[in-house]
Amino acid sequence: MSLFLNILIDGVAYGMILFMISVGLSVTMGLMRVINLAHGGFAMVGGVVAHVLMSEAGIGYVPAALLGIVATVALAWPLERLIYRRIYGFGDLQQVLATIGLTFLMIATVNRLQGSSLLALPLPTVLAQSVDLGFRTLPLHRVIVIGVGAVVIVGLWLLIERTRFGIKLRAAVDNRATAGAIGINTGLIYTATFCLGAGLAALGGILGAEMLPIEAYYPLRYMVLFLVVVAVGGMGSIGRSFLAALGLGLIETASRYLVPEFGTIFYFACIILFLALRPKGLWGRLA
Amino acid sequence: MKRTISGLSAAAMLLLGTSLGAQADTIKVGVVAPFSGPFALYGKQFQEAIQVYQAEHGTTAGEHEIEFIYKDSGGPNPDQARSLTQELLIKDRVDYLAGYVFTPNAMAVAPLLDQSETPLVIFNAATSAINAQSDYYLRTSYTLWQVSMPMAEWAYDQGIRSVVTAVSDYGPGIDAENAFVAAFQEAGGEIKDSIRMPMSTTDFTPFIQSIRDQAPDALFTFLPGGPPTFGFTKTYNENGLRDEGIMFLGTAETEESNLQAFGDAAIGLTTAYHYSADHDSDLNRAFIAKNTEMHPDSVTNWATIGAYDGTHLIYEMVEAAGTDGPAAIEAAKGLEWESPRGPLVMDPETRTVVQNVYIREVERDEESGLLVNREKGVIATVGDLGWGK
Amino acid sequence: MTRLMRIPFAVEALLIALLVIAFFAFPYNLAFVTRILIMVLFVLSIDLVLGFAGIATLGQAALYGTGAYAAGLFAVHVTAAPLPGLLIGMVAGAALAFLSGLVLLRTKGLTLIMLTIAVAQICQEVANKARDVTGGADGLRGIRMEPVLGLFEFDFIGITAYWYVAIVVFIVFLALKRLAAAPLGLSLRGIHESPERMLAIGAPVYRRQVLAYTLGGGIAGIAGALAAQVTQLVSLEVYSFTLSAEALIMLILGGTGRLWGAIVGVVLFMTVHHVAASADPYNWLFFIGFMVLGVVFFLPGGMIRLPQALLRLGRQR
Repeated sequence: MSLFLNILIDGVAYGMILFMISVGLSVTMGLMRVINLAHGGFAMVGGVVAHVLMSEAGIGYVPAALLGIVATVALAWPLERLIYRRIYGFGDLQQVLATIGLTFLMIATVNRLQGSSLLALPLPTVLAQSVDLGFRTLPLHRVIVIGVGAVVIVGLWLLIERTRFGIKLRAAVDNRATAGAIGINTGLIYTATFCLGAGLAALGGILGAEMLPIEAYYPLRYMVLFLVVVAVGGMGSIGRSFLAALGLGLIETASRYLVPEFGTIFYFACIILFLALRPKGLWGRLA
Repeated sequence: MKRTISGLSAAAMLLLGTSLGAQADTIKVGVVAPFSGPFALYGKQFQEAIQVYQAEHGTTAGEHEIEFIYKDSGGPNPDQARSLTQELLIKDRVDYLAGYVFTPNAMAVAPLLDQSETPLVIFNAATSAINAQSDYYLRTSYTLWQVSMPMAEWAYDQGIRSVVTAVSDYGPGIDAENAFVAAFQEAGGEIKDSIRMPMSTTDFTPFIQSIRDQAPDALFTFLPGGPPTFGFTKTYNENGLRDEGIMFLGTAETEESNLQAFGDAAIGLTTAYHYSADHDSDLNRAFIAKNTEMHPDSVTNWATIGAYDGTHLIYEMVEAAGTDGPAAIEAAKGLEWESPRGPLVMDPETRTVVQNVYIREVERDEESGLLVNREKGVIATVGDLGWGK
Repeated sequence: MTRLMRIPFAVEALLIALLVIAFFAFPYNLAFVTRILIMVLFVLSIDLVLGFAGIATLGQAALYGTGAYAAGLFAVHVTAAPLPGLLIGMVAGAALAFLSGLVLLRTKGLTLIMLTIAVAQICQEVANKARDVTGGADGLRGIRMEPVLGLFEFDFIGITAYWYVAIVVFIVFLALKRLAAAPLGLSLRGIHESPERMLAIGAPVYRRQVLAYTLGGGIAGIAGALAAQVTQLVSLEVYSFTLSAEALIMLILGGTGRLWGAIVGVVLFMTVHHVAASADPYNWLFFIGFMVLGVVFFLPGGMIRLPQALLRLGRQR
């Protein structure tokens, strides 16, 4: 029984972190149909800025995290205007190549400025505690991640389904030409959505840094991890991405409790089984 | 040992031989290490250590000028390591090789060493079996058995009777596990469980919870440096294992280059290792002062000391034997010297240095405010305990 | 290029000339040039799968690595003769491609990409777990090859290795060129451009794709086997995601769907890497990043389109 509870609690906590760091990718890849392999790069940029602010300017965790997200958005804005705008029109392979190229440049820049060792984001003592669940403890940090994750998913749902921005976004995504013809500034909508995706990436990078520590090669190291969530969840649906992240978190955690020796094989075998049985529910544009 | 050399490679050897005779005043050393990618820090540390050694001892050994040539191997990539080594031997005509961070990279060049009779000084790769592949390997780092067995013996002496081992599921992790388990059971301790954690693990909570449920006196771990070590130690702390009295035992986990990033979570972690930058000796303080003076951003760690002592070994070999590979190996065997890490002897049989293994605990230094590995005990003159296993 | 193709044996002659020139131009870098050739072969296998048959993959290393381990184990345990080892590598790569292809090729897009990645990851973990057989992370050692055909011993400089690899690559290249012009190749191109249309005219799309994937697996297996025989060691990195991804980058750089594109892309990428990494290893990724972006923005069809782009530029003036 306690094993079952352990799997449930750790699985949900881990799944929430997976969701937080890949939801930005669901936004750019799902809504805007761009294969953005540079997603991890934006997560890293947020983390690096927060690290520098904390270690060199002595700013506290929360303001540093917020400034990190702002800085990432500030970088994403011109990148979208200058580079991504042209990438939207590319074929899939060219999108892969272009965003990989951007990823390389981000890695090289961080490597040049900060070196290749780990860049810590030390939690304030208030957050570095544990919550007592009776039969075990759970780090407070994970509770916060779960809370923020819930806020993000509700916020995104409200934004897309309940605001004028959401209506315009859905119109622009469905048919850009028509949306433009009826007076929607599709360029601005795309820029804003892209920046949203980048900001979410930065948020995820910073919140997830306790588990996936920030360093120069972060975007390449975790590329597969992010892609799995989006592939299993399918494109264009924040809700399904969320379910996929939870499911994957539970599967991985269960495999580590039950069959630690064969965890990796079990995890990927599950993914193959799932994708082989349910390929239809997923986005099929790349073919 | 297979020593069949075809006509063509004999010609190459001839080419090599004549060139060496002609310019015996400069002896070249090829350093193969990662200078790019996630492991680039190794290459940087090696290069800095060599520069420090040259600044202290000049660029000549005996009558010979010594020149270092650096090649970037990237990560574990035996194809690249081998072709770069070939290039160093054929094109640059080096007489000594050095560096080699990853076991497969070092293993892949064994046939080249035998054919060209070139000594290779391993600055890092820690699998015992490498040195058995060719008589031309020498090692100034350590082997996993060399530090894991003393850890187990010390733990038993401290009254620890039950341990759960949790290692990353790959060659070095399994080496460390085997060594620790063998020594701990030999001493009379109980291994409650041996967990092997997949390399791709990012969330270590399940393993930490299992360890906690088994309530051993201590856990022993081995993980690749960087993110996995970071995640594992964080999780160990967050889940209150320390408060429950489950001691953390490790080896390379608390190495200096990433230690500060761990924060207070690292305080109290106990490891057995052959070098701590905090080692209390005048030689070590002078060495670190020189390194910091020349490279202000650099953090001295075991990679630095491995390369520093390796460079010393190369200087000694050059002085004794010049370009004669087999004679250089003979000269190296049994060589004794005092290193910043303590006294060293090049074991004639295993060709890995016999050295002190220190038991250290992470503390926050009162003066500098930085985390350091403070030495709490020493197990003197340990050889490669994994030889032949 | 197209005009050149019409002259009989022009391509063959050009290739042979290039191989001979490379041999004499880089006598001290033969080992590196040999690695480039093996990579060309590997990228050609992706070109067949992706460029011709339109199967998106980021897990081609699964097939390369299986070929490498098969050839390595064969050399250690059965016979160290190189050619039978190549055959074994090819069969192993093709077999894995066939079996996994049966499942994989029912999907497309990101799902397919993810599945190819998953297969490679599983292979890597299996090789890691089977430490007694494969040597795990320490690498599979003890591969000592016999002379090629019993005549040409693998030498220290790598002359035999170079010609051995060069001839294999040459033969495979010609075979692929034939294939591209044959009915199967044309049908694959049709599937790539419009699977629906090919289905409508009654082409067995799925079976053709499985066939193409199996052929690609065989070629990737040969490439892996060559690497194992030349390096005399196989490590877990043969299955790495990075290898699949870098090879894909090289192919897109050069230009997909054209055999020469694979050659141009590999030579360009590996040379820039080699030169940049020795000039400034800490920052070589900048060079690669800018090169990749430059090609994708100014030569979307890959480097292979450079002559046409220059011609167009010349005409505009």
